[in-house]
Amino acid sequence: MEFIVEEGKHLNNDCSTLVLPALSIGNVGQLAVDLLISSTRAERIGYLDDPYVLPCVGNDAYGPIPRGEVALPLEAYDSSLNKLTLVQQRSPVLKGMMVEFAKNLAYFAADSGKKHVIVLSSLDFGQWQRIDMSSGSQIYYISSANMDGADDDCEKLGWKKLHEYNPAQRRWKYLSTLAAGNAMQEDGLAFEDELEDEEDYYPSLPFAALLSCFKAKGLKVTCLLCYCSEGDNIPDAFNLADAACKLLELSPQNFHGDQGGNWAIPFSWKTVYGPPPDMSLF
Amino acid sequence: MEDVLTEIPPPSRFFKEDLNNFTPPSPPLPSPFLLFSSLDKPLRSSLLIIAISSPSLSVFHHVATKTLIGTLILPEIPLSGNSIEPSVRDKSCNIYALNDVYNSVLLVSVQYSVSAERSHAIAKLLIGEQIIPERVLIMDSVQSRNFRGKLSPDETFAFKLETSSERKEHSDGSSSSPLLKGLDYFPSGSMVDGLAAALLSQCQMRNIKGTLCVSWPEFGGSGVSLVKSIIKEVLPSLEFSVNSDGEDEYSKLDQIKDHPFDSELYT
Repeated sequence: MEFIVEEGKHLNNDCSTLVLPALSIGNVGQLAVDLLISSTRAERIGYLDDPYVLPCVGNDAYGPIPRGEVALPLEAYDSSLNKLTLVQQRSPVLKGMMVEFAKNLAYFAADSGKKHVIVLSSLDFGQWQRIDMSSGSQIYYISSANMDGADDDCEKLGWKKLHEYNPAQRRWKYLSTLAAGNAMQEDGLAFEDELEDEEDYYPSLPFAALLSCFKAKGLKVTCLLCYCSEGDNIPDAFNLADAACKLLELSPQNFHGDQGGNWAIPFSWKTVYGPPPDMSLF
Repeated sequence: MEDVLTEIPPPSRFFKEDLNNFTPPSPPLPSPFLLFSSLDKPLRSSLLIIAISSPSLSVFHHVATKTLIGTLILPEIPLSGNSIEPSVRDKSCNIYALNDVYNSVLLVSVQYSVSAERSHAIAKLLIGEQIIPERVLIMDSVQSRNFRGKLSPDETFAFKLETSSERKEHSDGSSSSPLLKGLDYFPSGSMVDGLAAALLSQCQMRNIKGTLCVSWPEFGGSGVSLVKSIIKEVLPSLEFSVNSDGEDEYSKLDQIKDHPFDSELYT
């Protein structure tokens, strides 16, 4: 992976926290990062050229009026005011290369002096094992602060450590080995013959690869997770973005948008679920 | 057969393997490579045109004054069935020098389908290493699966995307004009993927003046006519062969790349 600085821009060493999405059901992590970039008016500072990310381009995603600024699949933004770097990913990873991609991102984060990485991801409601009727918008987390994934800062915010996180579980251990570079992914083919159990779901998700690889580079990592089903996932994105703000001690009241709490909706969201219906039918 | 009532439906925006760290990777493929008739490398040009869409391939096939100077080999694409002389039916990616009065122009005619997985490697080959263009023009079609507006088969239109350095070239106060005039920018929220996207991305990252033109419809005479008019604005002195009426010729070759009768069994 090569980090290419946009002309006239530079990496800000003060931006010691990195926020990025993990690919997940409903694209919630990516939508949340879109919202954060748009609302903090973060400035694009460069691109990440990675052979494992599928190519895509589009017009400026944030607006308010797209100016023809071409958007690439993996971009880095800085919000100097908030001492924050955000990486947005717009397309999937090549089949079977998620761990390698996560390693590349971890190298980038470590090389650019990041101290804390926040990974935003959703989880499939269909896999929800412990029904918690307290709130459908409950935020779960896994942190590198302690071996068991717990973090006092997250607990104080009313979040729950993901109960199913078990670093001793075979697939979590295998991920750690891969992240540390002590095994080739082919070694894991033995899993193919074993029946999957419920515990295999979480370490199989992209956020788990990111968590393992960032940890292996000695970075502090916090994964923020929310359960959802696929559909209109914009409310889930708000929920996750709001949680990120709480952890970062940012107040959406200080953002520049015109939505409730001053969130700024990205211009590209106008057609995120396709074009409006053809009214000539009626 | 799965029971549609009890089986968990797959996520519709991702394939299951997209969200699984333990999906085995595809078997590695040999790298693509370039072959040139000339030993002078790198090749420099004032303009590099990459034709990907069927209308653009049809238009450039009828350019009278072009010289074959090289080809891009993608090892997984069989060459069986290709003819000795370049043909619009070949599965090939030939590189031509266009004899234009004012510019040194290179043309790449991408006559096979390039998978998304191979696009990054090909884009890096074509731009900035063995070929060093001052400006790049990529011709592709609007992809209906990625377009968030309405697409009617009766309509004909084109949009563009430009790199920052191309936009800067003709920004306020500059006497230069854009490579493609009179085209609106591609609407925000819609996307282009595949080889065209990989090529424009390389241009953006390498600070090369690049323009991607996506036209609609994907096939048919009206698409060919539109693309021809766009190319004629860029290269007014370009000559086309006699009987290059896109409407008549093109109607015999409905889909250049994915011809329904193409098969490795019949060569």
